[in-house]
This record gives sequence, C-alpha cells and structure tokens, in this order.
Amino acid sequence: MDFLVAFIPLLPFIAAAIIGFGNLFNYIDGVQSERITAVIAKSAITLSCLLAIALLAADLMALNSGIFIVGQWLSSGNLSIELNFISTGFSVIVAALFSIILAVITHFSMNYIHSEAGFHRFYFVLSLFSSGMLLLILSGNAAGTFIGWEIAGLCSYLLISFAYDRPVAAINATRVFVTNRIGDAGFILGIALSFYFSGTIDWVRLNEISETLATPTVTVISLAFVIAAIAKSAQLPFTPWLARAMEGPTPSSAVFYGAVMIHSGVFLVILLHPMIEKAPLAMALLVVVGLFTAIYSFIVGLTQTDVKSSVCFAISGQLGLMFLECGLGLWELATWHLCAHAIVRCYQVLTAPSFLFYVHRNPMKLVTPYIANKRWLYIASLQRFWLDPIADRTLVRPINGLGHDLDRFDKNIIDRAMGAPVSTNYTISSLTQLEKNLDKKAQHEIQVEFVRGSGMVGKLFEWIANIMSWFEDRLVLRGIGMDMVGIGSKLGQAAITFEQFILKPRYLVLFVFIVLMIAASI
Amino acid sequence: MGILSLLLITPAIGALILALVPSQDTKQIRLAANIFAALSFLLSCWLVVMYDIHDGALQFEEQFVLNPKLGTAFALGVDGLSLPMVVLATLLTSIALLASFSIKNSVKGYYISILMLEFGMVGVFLSQDWSLFYIFWELTLIPLFILIARWGGTRRNVASINFVLYTMGGSIFMLISLLAISQYMPPHGGTLMSAMTIAAQSMPRDEQVWVLLGFLIGFGVKMPIFPLHGWLPLAHVEAPSPVSILLSGILLKMGAYGMIRVIVMLPEAAQILQTLLITLALIGMIYGGVLAWRQTDMKAMVAYSSVSHMGIILLDIATLNKTGLIGAVLQMTAHGLVAGAMFLLVGLLYERTHTRNILDYSSLVRVMPRFALFMTITLFAAMGLPGTVGFIAELHAIVGGFQEWGNLMILLGVSILIGTAYAMRTIGMLFTGPVKPQMRDIEDLKLYELIAAGVLVAAIVLFGLWPAPLIDLSMATVNQMNDTINQSIR
Repeated sequence: MDFLVAFIPLLPFIAAAIIGFGNLFNYIDGVQSERITAVIAKSAITLSCLLAIALLAADLMALNSGIFIVGQWLSSGNLSIELNFISTGFSVIVAALFSIILAVITHFSMNYIHSEAGFHRFYFVLSLFSSGMLLLILSGNAAGTFIGWEIAGLCSYLLISFAYDRPVAAINATRVFVTNRIGDAGFILGIALSFYFSGTIDWVRLNEISETLATPTVTVISLAFVIAAIAKSAQLPFTPWLARAMEGPTPSSAVFYGAVMIHSGVFLVILLHPMIEKAPLAMALLVVVGLFTAIYSFIVGLTQTDVKSSVCFAISGQLGLMFLECGLGLWELATWHLCAHAIVRCYQVLTAPSFLFYVHRNPMKLVTPYIANKRWLYIASLQRFWLDPIADRTLVRPINGLGHDLDRFDKNIIDRAMGAPVSTNYTISSLTQLEKNLDKKAQHEIQVEFVRGSGMVGKLFEWIANIMSWFEDRLVLRGIGMDMVGIGSKLGQAAITFEQFILKPRYLVLFVFIVLMIAASI
Repeated sequence: MGILSLLLITPAIGALILALVPSQDTKQIRLAANIFAALSFLLSCWLVVMYDIHDGALQFEEQFVLNPKLGTAFALGVDGLSLPMVVLATLLTSIALLASFSIKNSVKGYYISILMLEFGMVGVFLSQDWSLFYIFWELTLIPLFILIARWGGTRRNVASINFVLYTMGGSIFMLISLLAISQYMPPHGGTLMSAMTIAAQSMPRDEQVWVLLGFLIGFGVKMPIFPLHGWLPLAHVEAPSPVSILLSGILLKMGAYGMIRVIVMLPEAAQILQTLLITLALIGMIYGGVLAWRQTDMKAMVAYSSVSHMGIILLDIATLNKTGLIGAVLQMTAHGLVAGAMFLLVGLLYERTHTRNILDYSSLVRVMPRFALFMTITLFAAMGLPGTVGFIAELHAIVGGFQEWGNLMILLGVSILIGTAYAMRTIGMLFTGPVKPQMRDIEDLKLYELIAAGVLVAAIVLFGLWPAPLIDLSMATVNQMNDTINQSIR
C-alpha cells in the first residue's frame, strides 16, 4: 500500500493548480464560482485525508515497507536525491491527523470566507499549503521536506497579507517571512552539513548513519536543524512573529499557527530524534529554549486582552513544553502532546471569534496576588519583554542602514563611474541664474575693454598680458591653489564620512563577520 | 633683560593684557593695543639710536641655552640687515592698528591676533638661532590664518587655507634644508646661525646646491618668487586692509630676509644657481607687472605689483655683489613703506565706497584732495620716480645688476615701464574724469588716518630725498656679508 503516500500531497497540489490557473484565466471568478472552488479544494483534501487514513490503516496492519521511491529527482556527482516518501510510523500518524484537520478547516472556511474579495485566492493558498505541509511530513529526504517547509512559509506569508491593501498586514507578513528565513538558513545549512558528513540526506539513512558519526559533527548538524525547528515553531527568540502572524483570517490562523504549520518544528525534532539524542548540546538547547519560551509565553499571555493574542501565547507556551519534553528525551510524550495539542488548538482558534459569546457571564479567573503585585513583571509582560524593539535595534536598523549606505555608494560612485544619466544641474533653471550669467558676461566685456592696448606695442602688450593672465588664472590660482584646497577638502570630507561609517556598529559587526569568514576559509 | 627681549615681549604682553580686558570694552581694547604697538615702535626707535652703525657684526646679543642636549638657544641680536626690518615691522603694526577702527566685530580677538602677529614677526627678525627662527616663522601663520579667515572678504575661507597650505608646504622644504646642514654640525653644536654658517662651508658643493634649492622653495613661497605666488593674490585681496598692510609690508620681507641670510651662508651654491635666480627674478618682475596692469580690483593690482617688486629684490640678491645687496635691503624697506601705504589708502577708500573696482571711481580729487596727494605720491614711489625711496632702491638694483649681467637689465627697465603704465593709469582713473554721482560726497581722510598715511608718505619722501642715513644703517653689515661671499666664490 506504499504507493498511496505519493498521492497524499499530490491531490491538494492539483486542486491548487486548477484553482490558480482557473482564476488566472478567469474561468473561476466572482461569487458564482465560489462553489466550484470550494468543491475542488474540499474534494481534493478529503481524498487526501482518506488516503492518509488508509495509509495509516495499512501501516497499522504492517502492510507498508517503510519507504516509497517514486524516482530519481536529481543526480549530480555524489549528490543524488530521490523523490521518496516515508510510509510508516510517526510521519504517517501525523499526516493522517493533519489531513483531517486540514479537511475540517477547508470545510469550515467555506462559510467563513464566503463572498470576500479573495475567496479564490484563499482556497488556492490553502490547497497549496495543504500540499506543501503533507509533503513536508511525508517526504523521505531533507530536500523534499525543505520544499514543503518553504511552500508552507510562502503560504503563510500570502495569507498573513491576505488583506494586502492594509499596510499593517503587509508589514507583518514581511516581518514574519524574514524571521522564518533565519530558520530556513539553519535548515539549508543542516542539509548541506548532513550531506557533507554523512553523504546522504534521506531522513532514515541520516538517523542511522548518525550513530557512527563523531559527537561534534552530530552536534553541529543537530544544532542547524534545531535552529530551523525553533524558528518555525516560534520559540525564543523568534516568538514575536507568532503574534504578528495572527493578522491573517481566522481559518488560516487556525491552520497555520494553531494546528498544523507551527508544529512542523517539533515534528522535525521528533523525526530526527535518533540523531539529536547523540548531541547533548542540542538537547540542552532544546531544554533551555523550551523552558524559557514556556515561562515567557505564560507571563505574556497573562496580560493579553484579546482572544487571538492570548491563544497565540498559549500556543507558543505549549510548543515550548513540547521542546522541553524533547530535550529531556521524552519523545513519546512529545508525540502525544503534539497530536493532542493540534486537535485542541484547532478547535480553539476556529471558535475564537465566537469565544466571547461562549464565556459570557463566565468571569475570568484572576491571577494570584503574588504575581499581581509584581509591577515590573506587568510592564515586561505588556511589552512582551521588548523582544521586537530589541530585534529592531540590533538587526533591522543596522541592516537598513547598510542598505542605505550601499544605495548611496551605488548612486554616488557606481552610477557616476558607469556614466548613468545625471540630473540637469548645469542647465539654467531660473531667471536669476540667467541674469547672473548675463551679468558675468557684461563684466567680462568691461574687463576686455579695460585691458585694451593701442598701437603695435600696445597690442603686443595686450596679447602678452592676456596669455599671462590665462596662465595665472588657470595654472597658478585655479590649478595649484584652488585645486589644492578643493582636493584637500574633498579628501577631508571623504575621511570624515569613512570615519563615521567605521564608527557605526554595523560596520564593526560586518568587519567581525568578514574576519571570521576569512579565518574559517583558511 | 636686554633691549631686544624687551622689544620682543612687548607685543606679547600687550596680547596677554588684552586677553584680560572684557570683550565689550572696545575702546579700552583699541587704546591698549595701540599703546603697546606704539611702545614697541618707540623701543625700536631707541634701538636705532643705540645702534653703532660702524659695526657690521651682531649687536645687543642675548643668548640663553634652551635645550642643552641639542644646543638650541634663545639667541637674539640685530645687525644692519635686520634692524631696518624690525623698525619697519613695529612701524607698520602701529599704522595697521590705526587703520583698524573700521573693524567692528570681535574686536578683542582681532587686536590680540595682530599683536601676536607682531610678536612673531619681530621674533623672526631678531632671532639668531635657526630653530628659534623657525618657531617664530611658523608662529606668524596662526594669527594670520585667524585674521584672514574671520575678518576677511567673501572668499576668506579658501584664501586662508590656501595661504597656510602654501606656507606650510614651503616651510617643510626649509626645515629639511636646515636638517641637512645640521648633519655637518659638531655634536651638541646647537643651531646658532653663525655656527651653522661655518658648518655649511664644510658641505660638499652638490649638497649645498640642494640645500639652497630647499631654502629657495621655503623662502620663495613667502617672498613670493614667480611660480610660487599662488596664495598671494587671493590672500591679499581677501584679507582685511590692515592685515594686507602687514602681509605685504613685512611678511613678504621675511622671505627676502631669510633668503639673504641663506645666500651669505651658501655663497658657492648661490653662484651655481645664479642663472636660475636671475631668470626667476626677471620673469617675476615682468609677470607681476603685466598682471597688475590687467587687474580692475585695486587690491589685486597692489598684490601683483608686490610680486613685481619682490622680483626686484630677488634680482638684487642674485647679483651677489655689494651694490646689489644694499639695493636689496633698500628695496625691502622701500617696498614695505610703499606697499603698506598703498594697502592703507586703498583700504580707507574701500571703507568709504565699498568697491575696489577701479572702473567705479572717477574724479576723486575734488572730494578727497588729501587722499589724492598721498595716493599719488605712493604710486610715484611704486614706479620709482626720483625723489621717492623707490627710486633709490631701483637705482641700486640697476647698477648692481648691470655689474653682473650688463644689457640684460633692459628687462628691468621694461618692468619699471610696465609699473609706470599701471601706476599712471590708476592715478588717472581715480582722480580725473567726469564726476560720477555716487562719488560726489565721500569723506576725506580723518585725523588718525592722516597720521597713519602721513608717517608713511613722509618716510617715502624723506628717504627718497636724503637716503644716506638709511644706507649707512646697513652699510657696515652689507660690507661684512660681501666680504664673506667674496672669500668663498672669488
């Protein structure tokens, strides 16, 4: 029954393609076509869901061989990547669970998003996301998982900026996407390192080979993947992106940050647990990050006054606990925690808009007086421990500044050197300028009249005087004197600018990086 | 404390006292500055009275070792070469201060700068130790930079920076030359001028030539010699008029003074470079004159005429004979008086009309007869009319030059002719012609302006009619120098 696994990600992908192209070529458009879109998306994900359940059943009956290879995807030198899927164990359970959740949410969204401007867009992205997410879970190698990982990230970006006409949504989407890219960098590094050290990027083989690798090697690989997981699952210090991501429509929040995508970090860690167990440092990092995120989310969650935010911090807190469990080696517990949390949280987020209706006349429980009296904690909690401003100060602004500097460099040096068109500075633009020029001309004429000689000697003298005057003006005054001052002041300006640049911390950091890179390359 | 130290520190004490006066008491500041400048002038007059004109060697010598390890000393002294310069410096400073009543902003800083400038200039002429000389030489730059950059005209920033860069650049060559000579000094030999003169004689001849070239650049920038004069037109035009007086009256003489001292130190090299020196001198003379003829800005005209006149001094120096040397000393004094008077008068005129363009003026003799008299005499002196001090100096130059090069002195004649051309034209354009409405009511010279201009013009005429005392003052020293030069090269 292994072959079923290939269809699970494929079907939502086909649905996404149909919706996308249909919308692009105006076959599917407007409110009247909403049914068609919904039906396509729904039937695809439902079919996938049924297939996943069938696969799980087959797995439980031990009919699966564990790996299903579709074919060669890429072969280049030593590197050969197959298009293969895992068809047994934890991955299949998670795939089944997530496909059920996805099917439920797809169904739910039909009424929720009904007759909104981006209905078809929403379903396109949702289907694409379903496909990517299932690929992430079921892929047998790191490349496939990474493709799914990136599709999920992209869809998350598209859905947060669902209302892209609102600037806040666009800014938040960008911020979330960029934050996630830090994790992606870790993922790519992880793939590269695993190929470099073990010669394979198949998850199963990688886990097997890691038994034979030296501890430092395993630690480095594990750390790379753990960073990817931490970023994707909104653990410290990446937690703030989760709150920003709540900008999107509720079903998307549920699917991305409540139930499905947010768990992919934990899933990755659990998938790689044989390897990570070999790396005590990675385990310690999981413990520390998980613990602190749980505490952080608990404290910040106490002061949240809207439903979505408090749910969001509850999510990151629970995920923190999962990471803590992983770090402590309680893999079984983490697995159960993941599945249970996905189901509960899916329900919670979907019902969040009507939450106040349910809890009406049911007052909130107050915090204990001990915590309530800690004022600094209150402020810290309200400010979410200033994580966003800190990131702005230390990362965003310096990089922005670097961009500005490079832009200036480009405009002032590269463009000029390449002879890019410059503004018409030298043409006359105002009447005063014209008058000034005329005045200069008149002055010049008077000057010419003034130095006119008469007779042969006079003419000769005038001629010599003109040559000498030219020499004096061009060479002695302007050539040596003025240019000396001019060049000197230009050099001084350049030195001041350089000095100011050097004094900016971003260049210090850049310098340190360059030195490190040079040191590493030697 | 000797009279020379007293003379030297008088302006410095004046500057210190001014620093203590509150800056809003402008009257007191002006009074105090004028008193100290006058005091220095009286001291220098006293020095002239005390000076023994029959003794060509250094007089009133003072020596105090500053740094025993290196042997540098605080050594002062005057001879027939430096004495006229000292008197000229103190006199022109007094006159510049008399002409400074038009300065209205930051009065205190202005007067302190002028007094510090006087301190530096007097120090240059009095010091008998090369390191001390160098210190004073550089010291003059700081107040001058401030004076031009703060109280100057519209392009004062460029002018001041340009001036300092040029002079500093020249000073470096001078310093290198001094270091090169000090290689031949005995250990702990110090840097006394007399000791270095002896040491320079022991140098190989080619090295002497290089050293003299270094000095030529160093002093040539200040003098200025023809291709190195780029700072001068700008600085003279942009500087406030009193500062222009000091700049062309004394600071240019510092270059010539140093040049003469160096020629006496390195006569053999000077003989080798004689052709170069005379070429530069002739080019500078004619070049400066022609450009002065071309200027409509009166200050620029006077500035270029300075280039021309300093070319005559270089020619005097290049002759390496007695007549030439005495001519150089005379021309230095004459040009100090003439250029000082000219900048003073042009500055006073500018204060009244706020234009320096000669084309704007006409028929001034009707409204400013006293000014017209003084200006005309000064311009006559500038073109070397007999009866003025300029004639005496140029006569020596022609005689000295003729002894050395013969008919080449026709070019000197041409330069004097050019000088006459622009001087006469200036007189014509300023004082004659139709009456222009805007030139109808201009105030004539006031009392203190009359004193300032009168002293200079009187000196110009007096020394022109009776030059003997001026020549006698320097004769003994020039004889001695001539002997030194003759011993080496003939």
